[in-house]
Amino acid sequence: MNAVSRFWIAAAAAAALSPLTAQAEEVRLTYLTHWAPDTVALLEEAANAYTADHPDVSISVRAVPFGDLLTTIRSGGSDGPTIASIYDLWLPALAKDGLVAPAPEPVAEEVTSEWPAGIAAAASVNGQVYGIPNEINVYALNYNKRLFEEAGIAEPPRTWQELEDAAAKLTDEASGRQGFGMINSWAAGVDHPFASLLVSNGGQLIADGKPQIDSEAALETFKLYQTMVEKGYSVPAMGTSDANTTGPFLDNFVSGKTGMIIMANWWESALKGGMGADFGNVGTAPIPVGPSGETARSISYSWLTVVNAGGGAAQQEAAWDFLAWLNGPESGENGASAMAGILQSMGILPSRSSDVEAYADALGRPFLEGYVSTLANAQGFPIVLGGQEFSEALQQVIEQLQYGQITAEEAQANAQADAASILERASR
Amino acid sequence: MLTPAVSVIAVFIFVPMALTIWLSFHEWSTQTGFGAARYVGLRNYEDLFGPISVGRDFQRAFLNTANYTALSVLIILPLSVLFGLMVHQRRVAGGHVLRAILFSTYMVPMIAVALVWSKLYSPTEGPINQVLSWIGIGPQPWLSSPDTALFSIVILNVWQQIGYFTVLVIAGLTQISPSLYEAARIDGANRIQEFFGVTLPLLRRTLLFSAVIAVINAVQVFEPVALITQGGPANATNVLTFHIRRVGIERAQGGLGSAMAVMLMLSLIVIIALLFATARQKEER
Amino acid sequence: MIGRSILRGPRPGEAGAFLLVVIIAVAVIAAFPLFWMVLSSLKTPAESMQTPPVWFPSTPNLDAFSEVAEVIDARRSFLNSFIIATTTTAGILITSLMAGYAFAKYRFGGRDWLFALVIATMFLPPIVTLIPLYRLVTSMGFNASLVGVIVPHLANAFGIFLMRQFIAGVPDDLIDAARVDGASELRIVLSVVAPAVAPALAALALFAFVYHWNTYLWPLTVLQGNTDGYPIVLSLGRLLSYNRGAMNTGLVMAGATLAVLPPLVLFVFLQRFFVDSIVGAGVKG
Repeated sequence: MNAVSRFWIAAAAAAALSPLTAQAEEVRLTYLTHWAPDTVALLEEAANAYTADHPDVSISVRAVPFGDLLTTIRSGGSDGPTIASIYDLWLPALAKDGLVAPAPEPVAEEVTSEWPAGIAAAASVNGQVYGIPNEINVYALNYNKRLFEEAGIAEPPRTWQELEDAAAKLTDEASGRQGFGMINSWAAGVDHPFASLLVSNGGQLIADGKPQIDSEAALETFKLYQTMVEKGYSVPAMGTSDANTTGPFLDNFVSGKTGMIIMANWWESALKGGMGADFGNVGTAPIPVGPSGETARSISYSWLTVVNAGGGAAQQEAAWDFLAWLNGPESGENGASAMAGILQSMGILPSRSSDVEAYADALGRPFLEGYVSTLANAQGFPIVLGGQEFSEALQQVIEQLQYGQITAEEAQANAQADAASILERASR
Repeated sequence: MLTPAVSVIAVFIFVPMALTIWLSFHEWSTQTGFGAARYVGLRNYEDLFGPISVGRDFQRAFLNTANYTALSVLIILPLSVLFGLMVHQRRVAGGHVLRAILFSTYMVPMIAVALVWSKLYSPTEGPINQVLSWIGIGPQPWLSSPDTALFSIVILNVWQQIGYFTVLVIAGLTQISPSLYEAARIDGANRIQEFFGVTLPLLRRTLLFSAVIAVINAVQVFEPVALITQGGPANATNVLTFHIRRVGIERAQGGLGSAMAVMLMLSLIVIIALLFATARQKEER
Repeated sequence: MIGRSILRGPRPGEAGAFLLVVIIAVAVIAAFPLFWMVLSSLKTPAESMQTPPVWFPSTPNLDAFSEVAEVIDARRSFLNSFIIATTTTAGILITSLMAGYAFAKYRFGGRDWLFALVIATMFLPPIVTLIPLYRLVTSMGFNASLVGVIVPHLANAFGIFLMRQFIAGVPDDLIDAARVDGASELRIVLSVVAPAVAPALAALALFAFVYHWNTYLWPLTVLQGNTDGYPIVLSLGRLLSYNRGAMNTGLVMAGATLAVLPPLVLFVFLQRFFVDSIVGAGVKG
């Protein structure tokens, strides 16, 4: 019966031999991203422009939901995508497992010289550059100007006390409106706003590879969350997110049921899409400063494109060449890169210094200006081995606090213990 | 004759099964070959029962899965008997139409079920809360609250699967000889006594089979969690299939994920054995 | 059939009227989600965002459907689903027929033991073996391709079980007569046994087709984001991210409607087969 089973496997293989498994002589690159189909179309356009000049290279773009991105990269192995767009938090683990290729010398030099030092560092592990940074995202306070006016609030809050007062005035249980929105069910959406408030209170999540969540500043931040929930200024059920980082938290801000929320600049396109003409109501302000903090700070994170270490030499070479072009000043308009153009279509900040310069006017628009101005005082979300697991564990603790299942003190103790054990486990 | 089937099952089920058990005693990155696994004894299991996030998340996922399974079975079994009787009866018309409608939902891909229900549940734009408001019930948070999210997923699971179990019950009902009902009636039994005296005892085998299948189906819930809730809010819908995939493949902690898979398998064996034992005990009585 | 029972049904009394109301209510509730799905797919984006929800689109249109075709390669996805479902089904039919024949009609040492082992895999949720299986298929080089989606499922315990149950009822005389005529064993399976159990084969084919049309976890894991190979159920997940989630309800519902259609149409036309096979398996099991 072996013949028969072989026959079936062969038949299955033949039936499934769609072009995707075919191998041609040319260099085939695949580019994995989590972008939405409309943005993917822009990337494909850029890729076509490149392959027009490089007929021996073909580039196909694959897109998966954000929630599947890391799995897809991890599970790809040597047959996986040649190029992948990754979140900087994932880099140390991917580099440790040898899944991403170090950048060749010229690319590494360009990254170090053409990008701000902090962002270049986020694309490196132990001084070795592994990818080309593209988008940078930073957190700020978004608020609804119309609701502020109605509630008689003149200015966006600058301190936590003012934040609490504004939230109290904006909250209107009868009409189902919450003063201050807090996101749940999505790790970065939970952790980053929390970390932004923490650093604006003079605290840190991790410093020198050691968790710092046992600080007084951290306890105050947990307590702020507890207060917001206990007083009803923040309704956790209004802040859920789905696997595509959209859902009720977005809908509620769009429809004026959330007065303030801490979010990153990239959601500009989602707000515009959802609000239409009302988008003008959205104001951007720095993160309010906590009692132990001195100045408004924020959290940033970046994305970068990396090259699969399992790909062939020709593939890797072509991939770096394409990426250098895509992120270089030759590919876009007015001395900007093609990548910067794509990012700008989504309202995302480019990070290459020359791109920031080229888009200076666009970055000055009211919504983004508030974000660009906080960038100077932003620090990266801690990038460590085990970072993804750390961020998911912290997310669970904060969500329990949001839903009133634990107290601020318990949250602090759990978060610190989890972080210590995860970081210890990841480094052994 | 057996070679094709047995070789496929051996290579793609038996071998991975053995590997799962073996890997559960190892530290292994899913990204590397099996040879790279490092023996760590019972450490993975110790972590699963420990107090830090690895253990807490697993224990929560285990509990969620248990609750989800229990709720699903407890709702599906009585409903399937009720619907089965409604289809099987001959007093009024409509039984066949009902059967067709109920069973058609079983054909719908779970992913579509999840998408459609996530919109039905939408607190403001969804029709469910609107209909509830007509009969004076305030808006429910459904998927957005840790108190109701898991149950909301149970409901959509019941909706999708009830048709299959109803048909199983109908099959059981057709096996019951009408003479038994006649005999019961001669003895002066009313309809309720008839149900508990004749119908239910004779459906026992069907219901045992239903219960086993319902348990197996319930622990496989994945799509609504992966697509809609991501295990949240506050871990309320983090179920084992989702959690094991996240740990074992996304975080590449293959050993830890395998230990969780082994725990799931052991629990299933215990539960199924218990179901059979209870059924046998009742039969003997 | 339906018409007949309405015409000839007994005159409902008061209890009958109540029963009829309950049946209609259950049918309406069961059908509602799919009804809402179709309605939403015909609404304008603004209508699907409205609070309270709009039930009936003011100007029903198919814009969302043409948008689906733009956002995902719908034709490609359907083709992939079709390839996966038909190839897997064909494999299952062949392997189940052969193995079912061997288990039903051959006598060999360890037969019952092996059969029990194979049947036990029916109770094994896929997540238990997912991690090593994923690694195994990757090391065979089948990852990110349809081959990897299909090959592990070319045989399954349910099919073998079902076939054995039915083939056991095929008279030995029939098989012996073919042997006397000098037919090879494979020939006997294909030209004597298969026709004798044709209805069961058809039912198995339907179930396998629908199951593998709908299955999500394994293709998601093995295809690794290779959207060229995505079946329609995976492409549906991608629709959610379109427009970063704002105002895409109609789009998602249109996609869901498309994905639901093939299994549902199959069901409407072949309802009897589905139901009979469940009844058959249940009774014989």
